[in-house]
Amino acid sequence: MARTLKYLLSGILGVLLLAPIALLLLQWIGDDGSLSFLNGKTLSLIGHSIAYSSIIALVATLIGAVCAFLLTQFHIRFKSFYTFVLLLPILISPYIFAVAWKDIFIAVGGEKVMDKSILELIFIHSLLFFPLAMVIIMSALSRISASLEESACMITSYPRAVFKIILPLIQPSIGLSFVLILIFSLSEFSVPAYLGINTFTTEIFTQFSAFYNTKLALSQSILMLSFSLMLMLSEVKILSDAPFFTVDMKGNRTRIHTLDKGKKWVYGFLNTFVFLALFLPLSALVYQSVFAQETFFIRAFDLIAPALVNSVILAFFGACAIVLIGLWSAWLKERGRYSLPNTILLVMFIVPSIVFGIAAIHFYNTPIGNFIYGSMLILIIGYVAHFGFIASRIIANGYKQLPPSLEEAALLMGISPLKCFRKVTFALLSPSLFAAFVLSFVLCIGELGMTIMLYPAGMELAGVKIYTIAANAPQALTDTMILINLGTVLFFIGFFAFGGKILFKRGAHE
Amino acid sequence: MGLIGSITLLILASCSNNTNEVVVYSSVDQIFSEPILKEFEEKSSITVKMVFDTEETKSTGVMNRLIAEGRNPQCDLFWSGDPMRNILLKSKGITAPLHSIAASKIPSFAQDKEGHWIGFSARARVLLYNKKLIAKEALPQSILDLTQPQYDHKFAIANPLFGTTTFHIAAIFSAWGTEKGMQWLTGLKKNNVTIATSNGDVKRRVLKGEVAMGLTDTDDAFEAKKENSDVDYLFLDQEKNGLGSLIMPNALSLIAHSPHPENGKKLMEYLLSKEVESQLAQSCAQMPLIKGVKTPKQTPSLEHITPMKIEYEKISHLLPTIQERVQSWLEH
Repeated sequence: MARTLKYLLSGILGVLLLAPIALLLLQWIGDDGSLSFLNGKTLSLIGHSIAYSSIIALVATLIGAVCAFLLTQFHIRFKSFYTFVLLLPILISPYIFAVAWKDIFIAVGGEKVMDKSILELIFIHSLLFFPLAMVIIMSALSRISASLEESACMITSYPRAVFKIILPLIQPSIGLSFVLILIFSLSEFSVPAYLGINTFTTEIFTQFSAFYNTKLALSQSILMLSFSLMLMLSEVKILSDAPFFTVDMKGNRTRIHTLDKGKKWVYGFLNTFVFLALFLPLSALVYQSVFAQETFFIRAFDLIAPALVNSVILAFFGACAIVLIGLWSAWLKERGRYSLPNTILLVMFIVPSIVFGIAAIHFYNTPIGNFIYGSMLILIIGYVAHFGFIASRIIANGYKQLPPSLEEAALLMGISPLKCFRKVTFALLSPSLFAAFVLSFVLCIGELGMTIMLYPAGMELAGVKIYTIAANAPQALTDTMILINLGTVLFFIGFFAFGGKILFKRGAHE
Repeated sequence: MGLIGSITLLILASCSNNTNEVVVYSSVDQIFSEPILKEFEEKSSITVKMVFDTEETKSTGVMNRLIAEGRNPQCDLFWSGDPMRNILLKSKGITAPLHSIAASKIPSFAQDKEGHWIGFSARARVLLYNKKLIAKEALPQSILDLTQPQYDHKFAIANPLFGTTTFHIAAIFSAWGTEKGMQWLTGLKKNNVTIATSNGDVKRRVLKGEVAMGLTDTDDAFEAKKENSDVDYLFLDQEKNGLGSLIMPNALSLIAHSPHPENGKKLMEYLLSKEVESQLAQSCAQMPLIKGVKTPKQTPSLEHITPMKIEYEKISHLLPTIQERVQSWLEH
């Protein structure tokens, strides 16, 4: 019975998420399915785009690795603050980040040097993606047992121990960060489009939106998808078990060093990236919002408030669905030794959102599928497809730290599996579930590429509203709306963090 | 259980097929179109469900949605910022013919003979300029002048593959022929034209003084003037027998086999009213097509502008060929 249910639910997940992509592939094969579009120009564009994205992945991984190393290995004052603010750029939409930086370049006169320069793209994408490397490498570093490092330090110097012990241990995470950032940078279109830089993604977008040539855009997307899959295959083992971030390291201890020399360099490095990745772009938005000829706060609030309410509700349900599916997939992988749902989520994770958007319209927009396509369910499915893998991995990491003997003992005592899950597993997993929920909530609220394609008629959403209103509204109004949106997200992060603290303190007492 | 119950309730609430509603997809800037649609909702008691997109977002959302939804349309009425998209949808069999009762009030150039689209309030292409960076007397008077050496590094146009700039370039090619059109584009490139991502980006660059001037639409120019009195705009090619300015009416199309065709027609008739044209003139300086509509002083009048003599349908057919050449121009 349990086995049938497992296969049935995996089948449903496959139909909901993979079937739209499979249908699109079948249509492509049926229509033409050839690679005849691959001419010299396209190949050169692909080559250039891979080269740019490789540089971005390299720079971002390097910055992320250094930040992660400093924050994990050393005693840093305000460590939580630095970790939090350095992670915040993940929450800012790439488009908004690009607009803010462009304004800064213009204000400081750097625009003449940077305009349409690939340096501008490398700079902005590196700042956008380094937190991803930081979070992955921090997780890997926090898993290194202090005893290994202590043993090494007894026979050699600390810098040598770093190169001989720590770096080899975190090498898979560095590789994973590089591959993920390469894939994300390659498929991100809003920044190169805004900066006017021609990449393979902007070419797909041009075919799709200027020429309405879905067939060619699809062929090109499939090429990009194949490349991403190939890259991913090289890292599939690591990616499949990727930590992303580990909420709580039960029974693990990391060695923390005190900073003596080089203190100012360490703080200088961290402060530089807090300044570049967050303070400066945010200040640009605040400056334009506050020092405009007219103050738009009330108008901006009136415009965005109803959309924000919808976005929060949608993100709440989206995060709940993601956590439920992530929990189920993690449980099957860690306890059931069955990884099909995890694999489905892994494949969907790298499908560009615009491709899933088109696939979902083709698949769900039928008289039978109207109850999905015409409702917020289509967005919830899209969010599960896009972010389910991250939640699944966070929860799986929580599972890894729970000895199965605890559950086994409870079951041997005659407690029902459901009660065992509720009283033992859920209680111990709750920090990971909570972290997965908060991250999913934030990611759902900020998602734009797919949301703009799939949001149901009549449903206002904050991200879409800002993006569409920005076209002709005064910039100060748009910037004020962005700040209200960002403030709301930060409020909810604070609210969840505070709620989580109370919840887990009470749980610990119990 | 509570969560599943809530999701079910939300789904049921959001997908109930209410007959007293109309679904409109709009590529007209939300800040101008939404208040009008909300007013219709209040007056008619018909719930208006809206999906917005803009030229800035390249209309990817609504156009590709309309094309992808072809088999099972969700939209009743498409409100576009120019007729090009409606003509494309007509060629794909997505629109339905309807001869509106308001058609007699709209000039014939702004409507499809078969009734697949009908225009109202129009915008025009203008040159937006920053008065701090260029004197009025030094301004070009024709788009041909933009290839003159004195305007080197001084102006911007939006990416000509998207939005109304595509339409503008196609109209110029249609008037001059492809070879002269390409020569002009090459001249612009030699003059180091800045390619902005959109008309809104042209506006931003002129406002910030990054370039002295840029080609954009009247609504962007009007907004720019409201934001900063250092900018102003002018209509190019207004001399006798000149090329004239491109006039771009809004365009409405009913979607074939739509779920609420009757409400779609009611909304269409409402949008084709004097009242709406007057509102658009107030909010974004759009020029009414219906005679006798009251407009504020700052709204330009079609009667005082020399328009480009074009056929929208002909331009639309030229578009795919022109776009390919424009794309290679952009890349080299």
